[in-house]
Amino acid sequence: MSPIICCFAALNLLGVFISSVSQVMLKKSASKEHSSVIKEYANPAVMGAYVLFLASTLLSVFAYKVIPLSMGAILDATGYIYITLFGVLIFREKLNKRRVAALALILIGIVVYSMGLG
Amino acid sequence: MESERRKLGGNTKAILLLHILLVFYSLCSICAKLAAEQQFMSCGFILYYGGMIAVLGVYAIGWQQVIKRLPLTLAYANRAVTIVWGVVWGCLFFGETLTVPKLVGAAIVLVGVVLYATSGSQDEGEDDLHDGCFEASKGASE
Repeated sequence: MSPIICCFAALNLLGVFISSVSQVMLKKSASKEHSSVIKEYANPAVMGAYVLFLASTLLSVFAYKVIPLSMGAILDATGYIYITLFGVLIFREKLNKRRVAALALILIGIVVYSMGLG
Repeated sequence: MESERRKLGGNTKAILLLHILLVFYSLCSICAKLAAEQQFMSCGFILYYGGMIAVLGVYAIGWQQVIKRLPLTLAYANRAVTIVWGVVWGCLFFGETLTVPKLVGAAIVLVGVVLYATSGSQDEGEDDLHDGCFEASKGASE
């Protein structure tokens, strides 16, 4: 894989990470009590989450200047890794073997896919 | 028995709808790729980027409807198909070449995503987080 593809793939991965952070912020806010429907949306966490989400879409567009379309869909799967991490660290979810195996497969698949790029 | 059969029939319809929605969702990456070919903030860029955001918005709404009708685990497992669409659209519209490692790698990631989706259905809370995770973006996902 050429260094330039590597750089732009890294940008896409950053975008996926930011998108995961944004989702966790939305989830955190959704689990809180809000005094009105308007405040469910018009609060710093939710607005911040949408700004981050927009940033992640821009990063993915920028990454597509170089990476193939098929790679974008594959790199998106790394979202599961961050979600799992946040789930364990923030929401105290339990990790099971099947889930760890699934994340390992996602990583292995990305490495194998990348070997097929010119 | 009768009601089970009816339920199964209902599920088939919901799964079909889910897959139509997922094909629609895969258009998001096509828009992103087209936007990437335009100059930043040119008319073309705004058109394609706007299209991408619109697809995500419609997808988020559609996804909410689908998960009312299907078990969340099933919905997430089926979402792995977006990897296949990425490969198909890449070949079809952007002249991307297929190589054996690319196909094998994509297949491994797909299996990983399905395994992940079916790994934690006992825990409601987890499903909840994943749900939140993907709507806007993945859900409305990028």
